[in-house]
Amino acid sequence: MLSIWIGAMDQGLAYAGLALGVYLTLRVLNFADITVDGSFALGGGSAALLLSQQVAAPLALLAAVALGALAGTVTGLIHTRLGVNDLFAGILTTTGLYSITLRLMGRSNIPLTDLKLSVSNLPQLGFAADGQWLIALLVVVLGLIGLLALWLATDMGLALRAIGNNPVMARANGISTRRGLTLGIAAGNGLVALAGALVAMYQGFADVTMGIGSLILGLGAVIVGESVLRPRSVPMALLAVALGSVLFRAMIALALQLGMEPVDLKLATALLLLAALGLGRLRLPGVSDPGGRS
Amino acid sequence: MSLSISELSWGHSVPGGSWRQLFQGFNLHCPSGQFVVVIGSNGSGKSTLLNLIAGALRAGGGSVQLEGRELLGWPDYRRARLIGRVMQNPLDGTAPNLTIAENLRLAECRRFSVFGRRGLIGGLHPSRGDRRRYAALLEELGLPLADRLETLVGQLSGGQRQTVSLVMASLGQPRLLLLDEHTAALDPRAEATVMALTDRLVQRLGTTTLMVTHSLEQALRHGDRLVMLQEGRLIGDWSAAERQRFTPAALRALYGSGTVPPDTTVPPPPAETP
Repeated sequence: MLSIWIGAMDQGLAYAGLALGVYLTLRVLNFADITVDGSFALGGGSAALLLSQQVAAPLALLAAVALGALAGTVTGLIHTRLGVNDLFAGILTTTGLYSITLRLMGRSNIPLTDLKLSVSNLPQLGFAADGQWLIALLVVVLGLIGLLALWLATDMGLALRAIGNNPVMARANGISTRRGLTLGIAAGNGLVALAGALVAMYQGFADVTMGIGSLILGLGAVIVGESVLRPRSVPMALLAVALGSVLFRAMIALALQLGMEPVDLKLATALLLLAALGLGRLRLPGVSDPGGRS
Repeated sequence: MSLSISELSWGHSVPGGSWRQLFQGFNLHCPSGQFVVVIGSNGSGKSTLLNLIAGALRAGGGSVQLEGRELLGWPDYRRARLIGRVMQNPLDGTAPNLTIAENLRLAECRRFSVFGRRGLIGGLHPSRGDRRRYAALLEELGLPLADRLETLVGQLSGGQRQTVSLVMASLGQPRLLLLDEHTAALDPRAEATVMALTDRLVQRLGTTTLMVTHSLEQALRHGDRLVMLQEGRLIGDWSAAERQRFTPAALRALYGSGTVPPDTTVPPPPAETP
């Protein structure tokens, strides 16, 4: 029984990069980025392809991050240079990415069943492979949170937060909102692609459709995390988002445990998100911002 | 000349499809350190002039030189490295979800590109040292915000936000201050505080300053020079001594008259201060 929850925690941690990417674009930059649906699959697909070609896992993860960042850069440039609305820019990129990912993978699904990862050398904590993944993913996610918290505390990070908060003020203080938005969207999608790669490795396959609905999953994690922790600082907000990812997965696992059909999963996800949003408003009437500084 | 505007032109389309040429061959020359107050009726081009200098609007032609550097080819954010701006709406000039210290740090960053190497590896900010400096500065300026550096700017009143905005504009060694009706949204008490701070900062920095206002009392009390705009033309230009002849009522009478008083001619650009 407990192993189900450890598995859910693993999944939540694997998806935490997605939640952190969505937090970066949506909360920090105030940019509704749909590219994540495409960059998640791109990350998963590219990492699976490289891993199936016997490329070392760290290199495959790095390649996924780079490709995700490239996809984000494209959306950023479409938005900032061509003046295309944020939603349209993301839709354009994610639509194109479907074909690109499929071309890259060469087929719609790459299994990774024979893959030998160094994760298997870690202690099992009594939960077989799930315990090993728990350690590996915790290290990766805590490392990501630390790096992001440091980055957002530099002048560059402060400028990104200012762009999302008040672009007029940012430009009046010498900050190029174009460069900032492009950089931030690239970083966000790099994180999302990393999550795609980790999820592919964890579940043992990558599918070209694995990105569908990613944005809503990331958004759900952000909202659940913020509702639970009510963070007042950036590092706490990052922790809350990662925790939100785990809680969100746990809620889905619970729903499945209670007998929900997998086919109803998307509907349950939407309802869960709606409930989290509604509860957030009930707790702070008239305040849509859940309290994080960015 | 610190600020030299020559042959500036700018127009815009108006409802109905016609074109309104607001500025045509506009000239204004301000010596280094001069505090110029700009008045004029609504639509006379006061805020537009500031927006053209700051780059928020793109000029049709002409030249805007600041300390010999031509600004017109630069995007607004690049001009902001030389120009401190305070806008009319207190909500525009600050980031509400950032603390006072973070807002002040952003203003200090105007000297360099935050998306370059220095922005990434220049350390974590605002640092303890930054906070000490800001607290000392706010205390020196007589502002009761030194112990509120960690307060989110969104929690401040409009007057306090405008105060922070003004201090921000003065940070990062600006070569020009543009104040666009920066007390218009404030109550009389906050207005007096912000104007007293404006005088202190301008004096302390010695920066060339252009202040747009609708308050004739402010126009007669502050600055070294008073200019009046109408329909994009300079119709009055008086030194601090010359403006003494006006009462607020006399100045108000000039609004919309299209002419300057018979005994007042538009003087040539003042000579550069050595």
